[in-house]
Amino acid sequence: MNKQYSIFTSWRHFKHLFKKPKTIPFTSIFTKKNMNYLNNNSIIRSKKKVEMSNPRTAGDNQRGFHTNDWEVCIGCGTCEEICPTEAITMVERLDIKDEEGKLQQRPTIDYGRCCFCALCVDICTSDSLKMSKEYIYSHEDPNAFELMPEALWQGHAVEEGWVKDKASNLLDLERVHMEHESPDERKSSFIEIVRGYSKEYAKLEAARCVECGICTGSCPVQMHIPAYIKAIFEDDIEGGLRQIYETNPLPGVCGRVCTHNCESACAIAVKGEAIAIRWLKRYIIDSAPNDMYEKILMEPVSEVVDARVAVVGSGPAGLGAAYYLRVMGYEVDVYEEKPLTGGVMRYGIPAYRLPDSAINKDIDFIEKIGVKMIVNTRVGKDITMDKLEKDYDAVFLGTGFFKPRSLGIPGGDHKDVIGAMTFLPQVRDYERGVLKLEDIDVAKSIVVIGGGDVAFDVARSATRLQMLKYGKSDVKLTSLENEDQLPSSDDELFEGSEEGIELFCGNGPQEVMIKNNKVTGLRLWKCLCIFNETGSFNPEYDKECEQIIEGQQIYIAIGQSPDYEYIPESLQGKLQFSRGKIKAGEFGQVEYTPWLFVG
Amino acid sequence: MKEMKLFLGPQHPGMSGNASVHMYVDGDIIKRSYLLPGMLHRGFEKGMERHLWVNNISLIPRVCVVEPDTNEMAFAMAVEMIAKLEVPERAHYIRMIILEFARLSIHLMSYGGLGGPTGLYTLMYHAHTDRNTILNIFEKITGHRVYHQYIVPGGVRKDLPVGIEKDMHSFLDDLESRYEEYRDLGINNLSIQARIRDTIMLPKEVVWELGVTGIGMRSAVNKPYDLRKVKPYARYDQIEFDVPVSDYSDAYARVDCKLQEVLQSISIIRQCLIKMPKGDVRVPISKGQAMRWTVPKGYAYACVESSRGEFGYFMVSDGGTHPYRVGVRGASYPQGLLGVEKYLPGTRLDDASLWIDTMGVCSPEIDR
Amino acid sequence: MTNSMSNTEFVTNLVENQYKVLKTEVLDQYQIAFEVKKEDVHSILSLLKTSGWIQLSYLSAVDWIKDNEFEVVYIVFNWDKAVHIQIRTRLDRESASINSVLPIYPGCKYYEREAHEFFGIKFPGNPDYEKQLILENWDDIPPLRKDFDPRQYSDKKFSHMEYKNDFVNKDGKVSKQEAREKRFSDADKLRTGGKK
Repeated sequence: MNKQYSIFTSWRHFKHLFKKPKTIPFTSIFTKKNMNYLNNNSIIRSKKKVEMSNPRTAGDNQRGFHTNDWEVCIGCGTCEEICPTEAITMVERLDIKDEEGKLQQRPTIDYGRCCFCALCVDICTSDSLKMSKEYIYSHEDPNAFELMPEALWQGHAVEEGWVKDKASNLLDLERVHMEHESPDERKSSFIEIVRGYSKEYAKLEAARCVECGICTGSCPVQMHIPAYIKAIFEDDIEGGLRQIYETNPLPGVCGRVCTHNCESACAIAVKGEAIAIRWLKRYIIDSAPNDMYEKILMEPVSEVVDARVAVVGSGPAGLGAAYYLRVMGYEVDVYEEKPLTGGVMRYGIPAYRLPDSAINKDIDFIEKIGVKMIVNTRVGKDITMDKLEKDYDAVFLGTGFFKPRSLGIPGGDHKDVIGAMTFLPQVRDYERGVLKLEDIDVAKSIVVIGGGDVAFDVARSATRLQMLKYGKSDVKLTSLENEDQLPSSDDELFEGSEEGIELFCGNGPQEVMIKNNKVTGLRLWKCLCIFNETGSFNPEYDKECEQIIEGQQIYIAIGQSPDYEYIPESLQGKLQFSRGKIKAGEFGQVEYTPWLFVG
Repeated sequence: MKEMKLFLGPQHPGMSGNASVHMYVDGDIIKRSYLLPGMLHRGFEKGMERHLWVNNISLIPRVCVVEPDTNEMAFAMAVEMIAKLEVPERAHYIRMIILEFARLSIHLMSYGGLGGPTGLYTLMYHAHTDRNTILNIFEKITGHRVYHQYIVPGGVRKDLPVGIEKDMHSFLDDLESRYEEYRDLGINNLSIQARIRDTIMLPKEVVWELGVTGIGMRSAVNKPYDLRKVKPYARYDQIEFDVPVSDYSDAYARVDCKLQEVLQSISIIRQCLIKMPKGDVRVPISKGQAMRWTVPKGYAYACVESSRGEFGYFMVSDGGTHPYRVGVRGASYPQGLLGVEKYLPGTRLDDASLWIDTMGVCSPEIDR
Repeated sequence: MTNSMSNTEFVTNLVENQYKVLKTEVLDQYQIAFEVKKEDVHSILSLLKTSGWIQLSYLSAVDWIKDNEFEVVYIVFNWDKAVHIQIRTRLDRESASINSVLPIYPGCKYYEREAHEFFGIKFPGNPDYEKQLILENWDDIPPLRKDFDPRQYSDKKFSHMEYKNDFVNKDGKVSKQEAREKRFSDADKLRTGGKK
């Protein structure tokens, strides 16, 4: 600091007089798009100047005005939720095609509020919302600042600015790990495979949900999915249970074996793994203590109606009807021919997917609210339909599809060609100890025909029985559909393969090979297509591409048909059937027989 | 002579931000004065309680307009302290680069701001031109020029764009080469010195009484009391730098310290660019989607060294999706409120805005 | 700076040896928190000040409305032994009052004034604590209390801007969005069993 400064020291700055200025001229800020506005408001008088303008390009990460590709956007409204300034509103657009997994709404943004934080971009479930490098917009009308972003900005294609990347992503795309029994462990027993979430894990999984509600529309019973997931997140099992029971009286069962269409509609599934909605539902049921059930069910039924209803069949349809009728105040009796209630749940689905304990919990609940279960009573045999008509005000038919659809190929009527619904109840009875292992006739090698969940149930149950009986398994599965089009759920395919089931997908069965009155195998033709042009079932085969797979038993799981033998002929004459179902009005009421309702 | 009431601000070239100093003057000597904040009160602390953890990043930089990054950093550090988050190594270095650029930017701006009260606007033009270059760099990295919303709990929002190092180096080299020129124009300029030497004194005892931090304190107590040294955050413990100090705190000494810090910041950024490892830049606060992020129960006070001193966030979480309470310790709170009331009286009227400028009083952080 | 761990230990020993501390939390090597009784606050703060914690970094409060208590927080700092110390104490919410620490830390003057303005805590001993600082012509309860709802206040005080734009296109059909939203809010009500 000893240096002496003169008053002229700072005069060296005069050299800047001869340098190029660093300032940015006005004309190079505004873009051609704003030209009209600028001219109208005399900000820039010369039109020529604007046309000559060469606006600077913003940086690559510029958080400018939004663009939103409507084709990609699924209308989940997550941007609306996260917006810290409440600038985003979802607007209904019914002119957009109604598609599965999408909602007919798109965001509008109020740029008077928007703070350009790009959180909406970072959380966009479909990556459709992006920010452009455009950052100038001016208008004299305040209303013009609410805009609906589209793929183009002001009708022009613009450069992308801030887009979501791995670091800025705010969604959790990976599912919380669910404990499964290992394939070797589960192959030789009927213990339940999926162990279920612990409280901690369920909360973590629930935290992934963005509460968009797209799933609700794809659920057959329109469950309040986002609501009960939120209840799990907030650790309110009781609230979640109430929300579930409002739409679904068999949640313990559905939490294990429903088709979870919701998960394929899930907004998170667009970019990652869907929320484990089914398992979360199961978590609520499994973790709700019995006294909580008591508490909820002891709440008074709305009103008591002096009317009695008979429900025939205690499967999902029958029990569902019984529950809601009871809640509405009716007196309900359920008739079941088998010793245990539950129908397909009890006798169809194997225990490794749906243990008895889960079914009991649901059915106990229904019984507790006052539904009477009358088992070992077959309508038409132990009690007549006429008596039901006389004793009750209404009858609900909830009988299922237990009769196997026949194969219709040579050799298809052999005794070792077995229907799924003949085999599976035996399996369940074995698990309960009603049947012994020796009583079940399972051969050493088996072919299963069918590609649905039932086919896998058969194949995987057979695998287990073989393991128990012979110590090794040999199960082949063949279906018309190719592996990637199988109607079964992905877990079935994945877990089945893990358990050693051989797949012969994309083949149609042509003949059951029989030698010395014993089944030896199945002749297959390559399947070219399953449906004809009009969409009806009419498979075409490639005869050249033939193979024979070996097996001592053939199990058929290609769908079932109903058994209406219990309905007296006098009544059958009045009913109309379509594709195996009784034709009925919108609310299940059968024409000409006002006391009869069907599921 | 009769006592007269005068106002400095809210609209005044020597007043940064919307606050007003009420002064009762006798002649041109201030007899009594006090700061009147509240013209800008935006309810930030209440607002933060009502925003989600992730939503808060859009609110926080707005607490202090000119230096938003220290806010983001202190908020992020407080969250990380409660949630016990390990920030990726690369993110630490990126944060330091951002923070030092922010320091450069505000030092330049306040050095330019010296032109306001002293009447040398050339200084302001030069400083703002250079600040503009910094803002260009910020724009490329963060997407915005002023409210960056870039440092978030868990790291930074995006990795540095490819090739940004070149821009940084060319700016740093340019600024360094013109450093002497800056000094000559400003504090070496005899007419400026006549204004800033031996005025607006801040004696050591007053520092402790008010609780002044930052350059104001260091220029008076002659010790390197800089949070980056005393309790290093990010990776400042792995960077070599000096803390300019002085034992005679007049306006000149404070501006001098500020300018020396510019050189130090340049050196820190260069070291960071060399030492910066590759890797991730962000970890999420907790599992799940951002709107359901939760932070465990706890209290934390996190502070960083801003250009004006200790800038801290006191935070309470009740384990939910929103902060339970966020308190902001604005760095200029002591000198802005108590300092103006107690130690401005006695100085000359035209030095009042020098106090505001060289002590770094930023009204938005008083009015948060 | 060296032996920072021992700094927190030093503080712990210093405070715990002389006072009954309700809870001690070591947040990291630079920060420690003590929950103490209201009566001890002033003597602990003077002890800390004489031991080198000469700077009052922050003073404010937290509203624990469920416990019907306010929590006053003092944060002090020592530049030579770099440890931030939080001293926290709980006050009854109905008659919240604690003597000012003005004699110990003169810098608290405005912090206390602000805490009074935003929480309504009284600080006897501070001559100015009741003067308004930031909120001009405030006519409601102190705003940082948890039972103050800013949304309600602003709805009451300010007009709402409505845009006239109509982006809605229902294509002549019944709104599905409204039905969806109604279902959502109904589902929320179910949680408390409101329906049945």
